Amino acid sequence: MTEEDTKTARKSWRTKLLAAVGGVSAALLSLGYSVSQQKVATAVPQVDVGTPISAGRWTVSVLKAQVTSELPNGLSVSPDKRALVVEMSLENISSESSNLYGDLLVLSDIPDLPKPDFYLLRDRSILWDLQPRMPETVAAVWEVPVDLRLPETLTVHVQGAAFKPRDNLYAAPGWFPTGDVAEVVFPLSEVASGDGN
Amino acid sequence: MGHLLRIFALGMTALVLAMLQTTTPPYAMLTGPIKTAGPQSERVTSATFAIDVATVKQARVLAYDQFGKAVELDTSGMWVVVSAKLEGFRQTMSVRAATLIGASGRRYRQSQRAGGAPDVLASKIVQPGLPTTGLFFFEIPEDELSKMTLVVSEQYDPQLQDEISVSLTPLPGSPQDRLDIGPDGI
Repeated sequence: MTEEDTKTARKSWRTKLLAAVGGVSAALLSLGYSVSQQKVATAVPQVDVGTPISAGRWTVSVLKAQVTSELPNGLSVSPDKRALVVEMSLENISSESSNLYGDLLVLSDIPDLPKPDFYLLRDRSILWDLQPRMPETVAAVWEVPVDLRLPETLTVHVQGAAFKPRDNLYAAPGWFPTGDVAEVVFPLSEVASGDGN
Repeated sequence: MGHLLRIFALGMTALVLAMLQTTTPPYAMLTGPIKTAGPQSERVTSATFAIDVATVKQARVLAYDQFGKAVELDTSGMWVVVSAKLEGFRQTMSVRAATLIGASGRRYRQSQRAGGAPDVLASKIVQPGLPTTGLFFFEIPEDELSKMTLVVSEQYDPQLQDEISVSLTPLPGSPQDRLDIGPDGI
């Protein structure tokens, strides 16, 4: 082995060591980051019923929840189903009319829920766009099977959104989800419906 | 000397690249609408269609008959009803998108709450050479009424399609309490 060979071997060993240190520290950093993210995610503020919650595009205050067999538009729920109705006051604080409120509330206690239908209580009809700075009382309705056991207290997670003037893909303005911003826990009352539900 | 020159060249390159990056028009602008603007007093014409805004009325309650049933719609703000005439030039089209930009710059799309009203322009078909009249309905807070612009296009968020803006003349006096919409409009 010449002196030149020893030098090359030492160099390649040093390169390998450097790469290993780099890789391991990157993995540790990303692990630490995700752990700290998990910690932040669990610290969701608990909010009382009726308190306005600022969720980015929407300001929402959850008012009440009940289980009933009649939809807010006066029709009855389809057979073998009952309606879980969450009433809230909802205001669009973005700069344009929007109907993107479908993902605003998440009921984490109840598995496999479909997306809710929203009703405008002023008209007792389906809710379409909400106009900016015109708050309305609306109801989110989940139709659930009659035999599904519902909890006595309901936990509603309000999902936030953040505005980005230039997104990463098209440099276009848009709203992007930011996860839970608040949690409201309140009793779920049952409306007597007479059909034994 | 060579060193300095190299550093200078590097700095200049960075500067030019930064300038190019900041002045690159965003995708949304490159594929945005083809805009035409005009006042309410005039007919505003784009390449594919034209609009004449006839009257603008404000009211607290809208009333009309739908399927023989009386409908009354109230609002926390004000109803603004725009009666207009559309004319297409090239082909059969419909003008589904209408937005009212209020005094604060917020964009109020036409209200689907009044979607069942008679004479709704957004649900009509505009044939070339056959002017079509009808109404646009908006729901808007009262403090937005002082300065309004009507923006119409074939659909919302048009891309490389015509979009006409009409600046509306300020509404005179106080609003009506109730606006009845008959089969022939307002």
